[in-house]
Amino acid sequence: MGCSSSLPASNAGGIGNINNDNSATDSKNLKLKLVLLGDSGVGKSCIVLRFVRGQFDPTSKVTVGASFLSQVLALEDSTTVKFEIWDTAGQERYAALAPLYYRGAGAAIVVYDITSEESLNKAQYWVKELQKHGSQDMIMALVGNKADLHEKRTVSSQDAQEYADRNNMFFVETSAKTADNINQLFEEIAKRLPRPTPPS
Amino acid sequence: MDPDPSPDPAPPPPPAADEATTALDALSLRAAADLPPDFAAPEIDEDDDDEGYATAASRGGSSTAAWKEEMEGLEEDAYGDAGPPSPSSSGYAGERGSSLASSGIEEEPDAATPPHAPGAEDWARGKKHADEDDASASWRKRKKHFFILSNSGKPIYSRYGDEHKLAGFSATLQAIVSFVENSADHIKFVRAGKHQIVFLVKGPIYLVCISCTEESFEGLRGQLELMYGQMLLILTKSVNRCFEKNPKFDMAPLLGGTDAVFLSLIRAFSWNPATFLHAYTCLPLAQPTRQAASAVLQDIADSGVLFALLMCEHKVISLVGAQKATLHPDDILLLANFILSSESFRTSESFSPICLPRYNSMAFLYAYVHFFDENTYVTLLTPRSDAFYDLKDSRARIQDVLLKSNVLLEVQRSLHENVLRVEDVPVDLSSQPTSPPAQSSEMAIGGPAGLWHFIYKSVNLDQYVSSEFALPIKSPKEQKRLYKAYQKFYASMHDKATGPHRTQFRRDEDYVLFCWITQDFELYAAFHPLADKTQAIKTCNRVCQWIRDVENKVFVYGESTLAWQYHHCWGDM
Repeated sequence: MGCSSSLPASNAGGIGNINNDNSATDSKNLKLKLVLLGDSGVGKSCIVLRFVRGQFDPTSKVTVGASFLSQVLALEDSTTVKFEIWDTAGQERYAALAPLYYRGAGAAIVVYDITSEESLNKAQYWVKELQKHGSQDMIMALVGNKADLHEKRTVSSQDAQEYADRNNMFFVETSAKTADNINQLFEEIAKRLPRPTPPS
Repeated sequence: MDPDPSPDPAPPPPPAADEATTALDALSLRAAADLPPDFAAPEIDEDDDDEGYATAASRGGSSTAAWKEEMEGLEEDAYGDAGPPSPSSSGYAGERGSSLASSGIEEEPDAATPPHAPGAEDWARGKKHADEDDASASWRKRKKHFFILSNSGKPIYSRYGDEHKLAGFSATLQAIVSFVENSADHIKFVRAGKHQIVFLVKGPIYLVCISCTEESFEGLRGQLELMYGQMLLILTKSVNRCFEKNPKFDMAPLLGGTDAVFLSLIRAFSWNPATFLHAYTCLPLAQPTRQAASAVLQDIADSGVLFALLMCEHKVISLVGAQKATLHPDDILLLANFILSSESFRTSESFSPICLPRYNSMAFLYAYVHFFDENTYVTLLTPRSDAFYDLKDSRARIQDVLLKSNVLLEVQRSLHENVLRVEDVPVDLSSQPTSPPAQSSEMAIGGPAGLWHFIYKSVNLDQYVSSEFALPIKSPKEQKRLYKAYQKFYASMHDKATGPHRTQFRRDEDYVLFCWITQDFELYAAFHPLADKTQAIKTCNRVCQWIRDVENKVFVYGESTLAWQYHHCWGDM
């Protein structure tokens, strides 16, 4: 096995992306590949586990590589959206791998921690990277997690909102701990999903 | 330099404590003079149960553009187009400390929990004693330290304390290495009183163990090799190129969030014989059950998976490699340790880059990991970065077969029931109608002739089996001590200068240890200290016969040719 054949993703193109091609959707049953990006420890896995399993585990479990989870969300207009979620590791050594998970994704959730300005910097890095290399019509959400820790807040909602507006993202503050805004976040993404035009 | 104390003309690491002090003083570094005196006096055993653990999420989080470039640039490098290094091109310049700040010190959950339940406790969560540094009395009293540092003296990993605060200490260690290297020599170890400081130099990365556990130099060096292997499993050897481009490269952030992995490996040094035997162990299973599992894994391997492993905790249920690919036992150990100590694998299926250092230390493979239950998991390894959905399908097929053939149930049953007990070693009825009258009643505890424990390693299969611990060595502390004794025994049996030896019988106040090495197997056995030598040797013969009788249950056989060779060897005995 050669060195080059098994290396993680490169931006130079020619990399494989994880993509399930049978993304056949009809107008009522949609399928969406979604990726979560952000600094380590901001709560990406907690957001996903709250959404998929309704659980919150306060002990931090460092994600390795990326975890895959799926969840079906039923909307009021009687459509269902099946989310196929890539929960990526925030650790620096995995940064080069991110394209593997966000290529072909229809939506991205970029997460920061409202108590850490540093994590917002990193979120902005991810936004830039997605704008450069992600697909054009990707739905992007900026999420300030740990909203329950408002007394320790260092990132103001206004700043984040303005940044999100400038970058054509929608913004929401969540708390995986209290479940605040978690379902709303995914519902909002589902609503923004382009509906396929039914065959005439 | 040789580990033996024969005089060396070059300026070697001096064996005596006072000389070591002189040598360290000569380096005139801040921490140097403190070293030997501070490392005396009562030590803190790493497994004493009064330790608290920080539940920190991770220490990393900082941006290391050089690494990212390394990963992205490698593909071009392969075509001979190594671009100029531009480590500042990253869009963000993160600093450390962005990880969870909500961590606190927690008491260890249960003092009585043996280290045998990997992943079961919360101790694996984070760094131990992150508040300590080389100025803390408690830090200096730790019995066994492990350090990883760069050849510019930058700390990369420390078992205890915060790496950042140990920058001065790391610089000292680096200075010791370069002091010796400046005289065109290589440092192996320094003895300072009760302490042994063992060095392992791997290109730009230095690994150091400071220990007063009386373990052998070879044993500690083997542990450092495994620490290095664990690091490679996470990063590959291509991390060396970061140092080529920037000798002052700060590598510590690249290992962010992996404290639990190293901590778990260090724990394994005192309970997992695989760390010194360089063999793996299997979960005992009836042959048809294992065959059912192997058949489906083989199927999967034929469809483009490089390695497929089904494991229960640290024990192999079945493993299959594509074509001629073989897995080294050390890679199995490091892979299992990585998976079992990273809690996130249990939460959901994952797809992660992993390097098998003994297979190819330069390249990443992609590992699909899925836990079927609390302790049984499948790992599918492939060089293809886009294989996730294929592997997910493969896993579904494997799961189907495992459920239909009751493999998962049998695995759970085996985990609780199928242990080899020394009490079950068959007694040779023909030559010994009754137990020898000379035996005291104490001797009746355990197996025949006062047998307390044994490890049997099949040389051809790279596999071992070990018995359950008999009553006299039930406590984790006793077990740890026995493993240390085995480790020393192993080192002396395999000593290149005086060995290898065929048999060794050693009696001390704790046990009688007996080791027997042939072309085909290695047997390590521990008996009651008053055990009779002749009876003990007879018992060892019976253990070997017994293992042969149950070999289909306790070992995994690979391809038919391998099995044939193996049986052929048995025939010669």
